[in-house]
Amino acid sequence: MDKDLIAKLAHAAGLDKALAEFPDDVALAVQQAFGNQDAIAYPTDPAVEPWPPMRAGAGL
Amino acid sequence: MSDLHWLTASEASRQFAARKLSPVELMTALLARIEALDPKLNAFIRLDADAAMAAARSAEAEIAAGRVRGPLHGVPVGIKDIIDVAGLPTTCHSKILVGNVAKADSVVVAKLRQAGAIVVGKLSTHEFAIGGPSFDLPFPPARNPWNPDHHPGGSSSGSGAGVAAGLFPLALGTDTGGSVRNPASCCGIVGLKPTYGLVSRRGVFPLSFTLDHIGPMTRTVADNALLLDAIAGHDPGDPGSAPSGARYFGRMLERGVRDLRVGFVRHFHELDKPAHPEVTAALEDAARILQAEGAEVRTVTLPSLNEFAAVNRVILCSEAWSIHAPWLRERPGDYGQLARQRLLPGAFMNAGDYVGAQRRRLQMIAAVEDAFRDFDVLICASSMDPASRIDDVAETLRTYPRQSRTPFNVTGHPAVAMMSGLSSNGLPLSVQFVGRYFDDATVLRVAAAYERGTGWHKKRPPIG
Repeated sequence: MDKDLIAKLAHAAGLDKALAEFPDDVALAVQQAFGNQDAIAYPTDPAVEPWPPMRAGAGL
Repeated sequence: MSDLHWLTASEASRQFAARKLSPVELMTALLARIEALDPKLNAFIRLDADAAMAAARSAEAEIAAGRVRGPLHGVPVGIKDIIDVAGLPTTCHSKILVGNVAKADSVVVAKLRQAGAIVVGKLSTHEFAIGGPSFDLPFPPARNPWNPDHHPGGSSSGSGAGVAAGLFPLALGTDTGGSVRNPASCCGIVGLKPTYGLVSRRGVFPLSFTLDHIGPMTRTVADNALLLDAIAGHDPGDPGSAPSGARYFGRMLERGVRDLRVGFVRHFHELDKPAHPEVTAALEDAARILQAEGAEVRTVTLPSLNEFAAVNRVILCSEAWSIHAPWLRERPGDYGQLARQRLLPGAFMNAGDYVGAQRRRLQMIAAVEDAFRDFDVLICASSMDPASRIDDVAETLRTYPRQSRTPFNVTGHPAVAMMSGLSSNGLPLSVQFVGRYFDDATVLRVAAAYERGTGWHKKRPPIG
């Protein structure tokens, strides 16, 4: 992945120090974060709520 | 009485009641064994010997006076070092939290003390229950008592190693992607991830709010049920806690499996992550044993392991980032490399990834619930391989994700891992049984039948 893009992403996440000290770990993290897109069949039905669902009066 | 260290909690309790053994005698024997073996195993981060002996004296006096609190009274228990014990540091095996002394007991430790159990000390973990086995932390990693050159699984490493080595009969671990069941599998003991919400997590350092569980780790199924009895129960202070009435988890241990319908999730270890041949053979043996005991075993299909793992990873990393972001920004060098590498991806996942994974999770839960319309319990692999050498970084990284525990963190169903044999190089193999929500008792019932049918729990690691 492009080093400039990794640097911009790291800066946006507040990880300038991590990038300076552990650039390989940050680059690996970016790759891993973007590597899940194809592994999950994300629901397209808008009726599927996230889990756990909001339950009014149930302690929230 | 030279083998006191191999007494189960149930056996020790019976001997206490019959005045054949005292808690002080048992504690004395275990502390001697810990002194002899722990330098090789590193199960402990912090041994609390003086307090444990004082508690043993107190238990001895109470039992002698007829004030028996229950089957765990006077029985030693080890606590994973992400779980608070008042007055002791909760370091999470990390430089970040060295010196972080707990002001109060976690709910589970308070419940154990009420039951009369004795806390022996705090146990090794992967850093923050995610980064390990690692050699760049303030404490060394735990090692496998079956062969100290191999890792004991994680993240509840000290819990698994200590129970298997006879340092204590009971331990608590935590399980976010398999961290009770992995060391149970690697060390040849019984590790249960209870139903999500059955055991309060208040006072436990979180890794991932909607995936975290606390679970009992023991050498026998009966002890596992006793320990779960002591720690289960609703807690309004834990947002994930469920108001379930489930209890008396050992009530069906003697019932056997006749007429139970067992779904065998073969694709996990045959297609999704093809297992080591010895693991596969042991799984087939386990299915045959249940069939021979009268269960009906049929193949069942669930969503793929790879997708379960991806959903778990996105949720875990996102929630963990919400916890660790300040330290990862300010003190990245105070983490070990593995924890840093496993926590950082959460910084680069977006809201859509997280919400999408939670929505897919709901569909995966529905798929597993569908399976439980046709089956009472599921059988599947736990680890796909025996434990690798602890110093073989490449092999450890290759084999760690080769497991099928994660699906049941995603869905929250109860799942127990236990020994299913020994590999040709003398390391434990494992099997996993999974049940319906809050039907942890049936999971343990099946595990008990399997235990009786095989006797693997009687095998001892060649240490000490």
